[in-house]
Amino acid sequence: MKSEEREEYLKEYDEKKKKGVPFWPDIIFKDVLVSFLLFLILVALAYFLGSSLEEIADPSDANYTPRPEWYFLFLFQLLKFFPGDLEVVGVIVLPVIAIIFLILLPWTDRSKRRHPSGRPVVTGITVAGLVAAIFLTVQAIEEAPLPASATAEGDRVAALYVENCAGCHGPTVIVAPGTDLFAVISAGTHEGMPSWNSDLSADEIDALVGFLLAPNGNEVFAAACAECHTLDQLIEADAIDLRSALELGTGFAPHADAAIPDWKGLLSAAEQAQLLNFLTAPDGQRLWTQLCAACHGRSVAVSGDEAALRDLIVKGGGHLDMPAFGGTLVDTDIQALAIYVMDQTAYPAGEGLFAQHCSSCHAQRVPTAGSLDEAVAAIARGGAHEDMPVWGEILTDEQIGALVAYVFQAADLPDLAGGEDLFAQNCAACHGELGEGGPNPARAGDIIAPISTAEYLRTRDDQTLRAIVSQGQPNFGMSPFGDSFGGPLNDEQIDTIVAFLRAWEADPPVELPPDVPAVPQSTSSGREVYQQLCAQCHGDRGQGGIGTAFGEQAWQSANSDSAIFDAINLGHEATAMIAWGEILTSQQIEQLVAYIRTLNSSGSATGAPTFVGDVLPIFQASCAACHGSLGGWTGTNYEDALNTGEGGPTILPGDPDNSRLVQTLVGTHPDGIVMPPSGALSDTDVQTIVDWIAAGAPER
Amino acid sequence: MATRFGDWLNERSGWRAAYTMVFLRKIPKINWAYTLGSATLFAMIIQIVTGILLTLYYVPDPQLAYASVGYITNELPFGWLIRGLHHWGASAMVLLVVLHMVRVIIYGAYKYPREFTWITGVALLLLTFSFGFTGYLLPWDQRAYWATVVGTQIGEVTPVVGDTLRAVMLGGEEISGLTLSRFYGAHVWVLPSVLLLLVGIHIYLVIRNGITSVPKRGE
Amino acid sequence: MVEEKGHPNGIDEQPATDAKPKAGEDLDHRVSRRKLLVTGVGVMSGAIAATVGVPAIFYVAGPAQEQGGEQDWIRLGTASSIETGTQTLMKATVERRAGYLTTTEELSVFVSTENGADFVALSNICTHLGCRVRWVDDQNAFFCPCHNAVFGPDGTVLEGPPPRPLDRFETKVEDGQIFIRRT
Repeated sequence: MKSEEREEYLKEYDEKKKKGVPFWPDIIFKDVLVSFLLFLILVALAYFLGSSLEEIADPSDANYTPRPEWYFLFLFQLLKFFPGDLEVVGVIVLPVIAIIFLILLPWTDRSKRRHPSGRPVVTGITVAGLVAAIFLTVQAIEEAPLPASATAEGDRVAALYVENCAGCHGPTVIVAPGTDLFAVISAGTHEGMPSWNSDLSADEIDALVGFLLAPNGNEVFAAACAECHTLDQLIEADAIDLRSALELGTGFAPHADAAIPDWKGLLSAAEQAQLLNFLTAPDGQRLWTQLCAACHGRSVAVSGDEAALRDLIVKGGGHLDMPAFGGTLVDTDIQALAIYVMDQTAYPAGEGLFAQHCSSCHAQRVPTAGSLDEAVAAIARGGAHEDMPVWGEILTDEQIGALVAYVFQAADLPDLAGGEDLFAQNCAACHGELGEGGPNPARAGDIIAPISTAEYLRTRDDQTLRAIVSQGQPNFGMSPFGDSFGGPLNDEQIDTIVAFLRAWEADPPVELPPDVPAVPQSTSSGREVYQQLCAQCHGDRGQGGIGTAFGEQAWQSANSDSAIFDAINLGHEATAMIAWGEILTSQQIEQLVAYIRTLNSSGSATGAPTFVGDVLPIFQASCAACHGSLGGWTGTNYEDALNTGEGGPTILPGDPDNSRLVQTLVGTHPDGIVMPPSGALSDTDVQTIVDWIAAGAPER
Repeated sequence: MATRFGDWLNERSGWRAAYTMVFLRKIPKINWAYTLGSATLFAMIIQIVTGILLTLYYVPDPQLAYASVGYITNELPFGWLIRGLHHWGASAMVLLVVLHMVRVIIYGAYKYPREFTWITGVALLLLTFSFGFTGYLLPWDQRAYWATVVGTQIGEVTPVVGDTLRAVMLGGEEISGLTLSRFYGAHVWVLPSVLLLLVGIHIYLVIRNGITSVPKRGE
Repeated sequence: MVEEKGHPNGIDEQPATDAKPKAGEDLDHRVSRRKLLVTGVGVMSGAIAATVGVPAIFYVAGPAQEQGGEQDWIRLGTASSIETGTQTLMKATVERRAGYLTTTEELSVFVSTENGADFVALSNICTHLGCRVRWVDDQNAFFCPCHNAVFGPDGTVLEGPPPRPLDRFETKVEDGQIFIRRT
């Protein structure tokens, strides 16, 4: 602006001011009015919305979705457009440019024009900037990982999604129909998606699949069920109950007393399907276990094609055409069969009839019937007679599809016998013949947990097991067994092993972890610890066995205390000697060392008591409270025990009768002193001390 | 009596001249958009008053901050009001500062003779954001903590000095009690002193140079 | 700044010019309008100040109205452990809640009884400067080591500077347990 322009402006401004209104009270009234309204809004916000206070900050909480405050959201959102190395543009370059633009504005826009229409560039940039900021803020709010609220309600699945998937996939994933999501998640894809097998359990993957296929199911759940049910409860519930609860409303017995709305009317068919898909993830294996295994057993066999199987499942009990036995059998036979069906033990004679007429279709399994009359009627009339549910009415299409797929896949699995051999050859060395586990040869001190418990198998599905076998578990020292990872087994063989493992689930050979020494913390004596833990390999008197013998003088003198300590503490690699340091306290190991020293068979024949192994514990328990800190005789270490005492040594090695210690213990001291004052030691303890002194009071 | 006291005081302070200059000056015809500045000032006063009241109970210590905020919000009489006003007032401040600035840009009010007023205004905008950022951590709840995690990580991207900058800002590698106390120090002492200084200059300049008139088309 | 004509900021010679009459009718109008504006400003400012100010008073005074749990009966111990004719020092921890903090404080009380049924509980804090008094059995009196004050077994001042007897607690016995309460 030139100086004339400046003068001109001041003059014009002066004119306008003269024509204006006084600051007080006209302008101030306007200002106060606006401020007052602002104040009312603030008070209303404070009253109605309050100021939230969430849980106390927990830096270790990995589930919390961090978000900046709303006025930084646009910046936050901006980052999404500048991935990787470009981030610096979004974070630094653009904001700095904006600030510099603002600061320099009076010098970049030097015209004397003031009306916005006269300054299209500045006006344009400002409006564009504002619109962009508003747009980004709105976008950030909309894209807020949905479960910010859901997570707060304890929706673990949504949290799982946010934690693991949202980072790359954003709030939703579009899944092409027919995608085997479970496989995609567990194995990853070629597009850089990692395999989640090691990070997520099979159950978690199931839950995620349900969530992805039915994202609305999550919302429906939150809206309709979450008030009364936790997600876990409903996921564990069986599909029939879920469907009945949906369809029957308060007619569903558990809901009889609940004031619940009519879900069937309120939720659209699509929403119902979403909800069911969400709750019972379309995972064939789970569905089979939950719904079919009760009648069909765990082994899956199928004949016919996919369409037939689907048809059969959808129609349920309607699929079988049982002949009407009313025409072929006499009434008494029918009656007998019916009685047998109702209670096999009550009428064993029916077995023959059943074998003759029924087992060609029913095999060994005896159908059930509600009452005798019902059974009679069913047998006489034939037709659809069994209670195979009409799954078409219970399961969603996705679930039936998954079930069919699973049946074919499972029926295809190789036989178990081959699996047993393969397991014995490849796995039993570490996992034990029955999968019971044991010391880990690859990692000293580690114990391999059993893999044949129902619990272990229930929580890992076939996919997971296959992955473990083929990829190994490098962290735990298990090498990969799959040939694609350099191992000896091809996919078919791995499938065989997995099927073999799976068979254990129903009938686990191992129920509890193996005798992992019930940590004998409470046991204080070296002898007890030795007998519990060491004796089974090293012999109860150190005579050896699987493990080294300790009894011989040669061994005893070849190994220092610290060497023995280390051996116990660290174990020996590639033997069954594990690192006990992880189980025992160092104090216990010290006691063990002391005890092992007493096992020296070539010393005094009976294994005379030693100071460290036998006497010191007695001293510490009964004497040290006074004779350790209060002067007089000190019994807390070998030197002092032998050398200190009032008026001469308390212990005369080899001469228990004249040792002051023994005299005070047994009450023969001429001064009449009896120790300990609280009461005499047990006879065995006294005898140990007497024996020890008699043996020359050896330190070890 | 009042007049005599006024005269007495005037002789010693000259308040009448100041009063005349501030309150009796004339203002060109303006519209409602011009109340944004005073509304911002009002929001600031609310923040100062409620902020001072909050410091009576708040303790910037990771063990106690959360408990003290909870105490203020849930147990003290009208604590919800004081904290609520401060909480929402913070958002109002940001909103108003931005709107005020947009008004100034649209009406070309940053031009001669108000360039310096404008510069102090830009500084006040940044200051307002700093207030928001430092204040957000103080309740030490999940939202506060994680928002600060994100906020400071964003800053870490700065080339060369990013890591150092973040470490200095946080008082270490991670958010800790040190972060809390320095955010508190900044929020309660450093930023307010700068704010008052700048607001003082800003208002002085507004009074001295007057408020712009609404520009007419073609002006 | 460029030199301006007249007053800076364009203030007229007469500050109250807006209240000055140009025509008789205009005067009334202007005065009433001005009055309205001033009243409006006053009312709104007052409302804001009151809405913040009054709650602020309660807010500041808040903790003063809290009960620290002091009025409750505090259990000291079994009544049977108190021998007649002497003073027994008994301790109790009292939880004191101040705002969001709970502190525990140890309370020491001399308890005595004449007949095994009625108990007297005396604070062990000297009423002079807050030192701890001790019971001297030989002299049958409390002695404060700070300024040689002596109190009788009933807490009355026998010697020294204390302004009043030792503080007494209200006592009660329930199920063989002795309870005290500040009076």
